[in-house]
Amino acid sequence: MKYIIVLLLLVTGYPLLGQEVNFSGYVRGYSGMFAGNDNYDFVILQNTLNLVAEKKGEGASFRVNPYFYHYKQDSLVIGMREAYIDLEAGNLALRLGKQQIVWGKADGVFITDIISPKNLEEFLLPDFAEIRMGVTGAKLNYYFENNTIELVFLPVFTPTKLPAKSSVWSPVLNFPVAPVFDYSRSEVNPALENTEVYLKYSSLSGSIDYEVMAGYMWDDDAAMYTSLTPNGAGGMNLKITPEHNRLTVAGGSFSTTVGPLVLRGEGAYYSGKKFMTTTPQLNSGITEKDYIHYMAGTDFALYDIQVSTQIIQKSILEYSSDLQSNYSFNGENSTMMTLLLKYSALNETLDFELFSYYDFEFDDSLIRPRIVYDYSDSINLQFGANIFTGDSGQFGQYNLNDMIYAKVLYNF
Amino acid sequence: MKNSAWLLIVFLLTMVSSPYLFAQSKTGLQVIESVYNRPNGSDMSADLTMTLINARGDQRVRKIKQFSKEFGKDEKKIMFFISPADVKNTSFMNWSYGDAGKDDDQWIYLPALKKTKRISSDSKSDYFMGSDFTYDDLGDRLPSEDNHKILKEEKVQDELCYVIESKSKNSGYMYSKTITWVVKDKWVAVKKEFYDEEGKLLKILTVEEYKTINNFLIVTKTLIKNIQTNHATEMKLENIIIDGGISNDKFTERTMTKGL
Repeated sequence: MKYIIVLLLLVTGYPLLGQEVNFSGYVRGYSGMFAGNDNYDFVILQNTLNLVAEKKGEGASFRVNPYFYHYKQDSLVIGMREAYIDLEAGNLALRLGKQQIVWGKADGVFITDIISPKNLEEFLLPDFAEIRMGVTGAKLNYYFENNTIELVFLPVFTPTKLPAKSSVWSPVLNFPVAPVFDYSRSEVNPALENTEVYLKYSSLSGSIDYEVMAGYMWDDDAAMYTSLTPNGAGGMNLKITPEHNRLTVAGGSFSTTVGPLVLRGEGAYYSGKKFMTTTPQLNSGITEKDYIHYMAGTDFALYDIQVSTQIIQKSILEYSSDLQSNYSFNGENSTMMTLLLKYSALNETLDFELFSYYDFEFDDSLIRPRIVYDYSDSINLQFGANIFTGDSGQFGQYNLNDMIYAKVLYNF
Repeated sequence: MKNSAWLLIVFLLTMVSSPYLFAQSKTGLQVIESVYNRPNGSDMSADLTMTLINARGDQRVRKIKQFSKEFGKDEKKIMFFISPADVKNTSFMNWSYGDAGKDDDQWIYLPALKKTKRISSDSKSDYFMGSDFTYDDLGDRLPSEDNHKILKEEKVQDELCYVIESKSKNSGYMYSKTITWVVKDKWVAVKKEFYDEEGKLLKILTVEEYKTINNFLIVTKTLIKNIQTNHATEMKLENIIIDGGISNDKFTERTMTKGL
C-alpha cells in the first residue's frame, strides 16, 4: 500500500511543475536544566531545524516538512513530519501521504483528536505540532458551503512513541516483579484488513461550530498481556506481551459563544478498550470495557488576561474492582483540568503565559509558566519552567524532573 | 412681476438644494450615518501592509491579504497573514451583522495547531496584531451605538469638515468619547481622536490618503498614533479590487485552512 501511495504522489504531482516552491520554518536552540534535584544537569541541549517546502498549483499542491534534531551527544535525529500532495476538483479535496490530522475542540487533551498518534519521548513538553506524529494514508474531503465531510483511510498503523527505558521521561511501571517483555505481537502489519477508517462531519455557522465523528481504529497504546510461570525456585516469571487492539469510537465536539464566553465541549465513546486486571492468571490479565471521555471548557478575557480552562473526565462503563489502576485510568472515573492564562504587553511583543494540568485523582499537576519575547519579526526568545507536583500520577511520577529552559527561535 | 416670481422660485430651489443649507439641517447622527452608509462596493480585495513604529522609531511590518463581501445587511471578511514568518498562513475570519445587538462571529486558524478556533468578539478593546488599532476601531461601529453631536466646522487638509463628538450609550465602552472630522459631502472621516476612560487624549487617527476607485471613495492610507505611549501604526491598502466578484466560498473554513 505504501508503494501505491508513493506512486500516486509521483504520478499526480505533474500539475505542480512550473510553480514556485516556498520555503519556511525555523531554527531553534533549546537548553533545559533540571531544577528538581540537586544536580542541575542540562537535560536538554537541542538544536532544531524545522523546514517546510510548499508548492501550490491549480488543483494540486504539495507540502514536505522534514525536521532535524541535533542533541548534545552530537547525535542527529532526522524525520519527516509531513509529506503529502493535495489534489482538488470542485468540492472534493484529496490529501495523499504522511500528514498530521487534528480533530476536535479540546486543547491539550486528546478525545476525538486521536488520528495522529503522540510522540511522548519528551512527555507532553514539546509543542503540540511536535507531539503529533504524521500518519500515512489518504484523506478525502467533500465541502458544501460551511460543511465538510471528511473520510480518512490509514493503511499504515502508527502507535504512540514512548520514551526509551533510559530516558528521564520513561514512565514508572508498577509490576510486582521485574517483567520480561515479548514484543512479538506488538506490530500491526500494513494490510487491508488492518486499515484504520475515520469519518467526520463538521459544520461552521454563525451560532455554533460542531463535529460528529466515528472511527474504526487501532488503540495507539498497547494492552499489556500478562503471563505468569513458575521459575523453579519457588517464585514466578512475569512475561508482558504488548499488543495493539481494535477500538471503535464515536463522538463529537462543539464550540459556541455566549456573550463574552466561548464555550467548548467534546466527548467520545470508546468500545473495546483492553484494560489490565489484578488477576494475571485469568485471560492473560486483560478484560475488555467500554469507556467515555469528555470535556467542557470555556475561553474568556478577564481584564486584559486571556483565560482558557477545561475539565476532562474519563468514565469506565460496567466498572469492576479487579481493574488495575494506571495513570490514565484510576478507578471508575478519572478527572483532570487544564488552565491557560495569557497576558500580552508591549504591543504583543511580550507574552506572559501559564499553562497547567491538574489531575484530581492523584492530586498531581504540571505547571508551565513561560515568558515569550519577540526580539524582532524573526527572532523569538522564550524562558520558562516545567514544574511537576505530587508524588505519583502521570505528572507526579516526574516530580524530580522540574526544569527551567530557554529557547531561541529564528523564523524564516 | 413674472420675472420676479421666477427669480423667487429659482432662488428658493437653489437654497433648498444647496449642500450648505442641507448640511445645516444635518444632525451629528446623520453625518455619522452618512459615513457609515457611504457606498464602497459589494466586495473588495486588497493587500494590507501594517507598519508598527515604536517610540524609538523601530519598525515591524505585517503583511496581510484581505477579502470582504457584503451579504445584505451583513458583511464577511477574511484575512490571510503573509508575514512575519511566525504568523504566516494564520487566517482570521469575521462575520459582522447589521442587526443592532448581534455580536460578530470570529474564527482564527492557527497553522501550527492545524485548528480553526472560534474566538469571542466581545473583547473589542483588544489590539489587532500588536497594532494601535483595536478590533473595534477596525470594525464598522453602528452609528446607533453612540450619541453624536456636531461641535463645529473646520478645515482639515484643505477640506471643510464637520467635527462630531460621539459618546457611547454603553458606560463600559473603552473610550469616553471620540471626535471625528468628516469631509462635507464626501462623508469620509479624515481624522479621529480617541479619549480614554479618564477623558485624556489617547490616540489620533489621520487619513493620509483616499482615492476614488470604481467611483467609490476608499481610504487607502491611515496613521494612528498613541499619544500616551508614542507608538504608531501605519496602515496601507494596495492592489485594491472592488466588485471583482468574490465567491461566497471564500468565506469558509475550507479557505481559512487552505490559505492563499
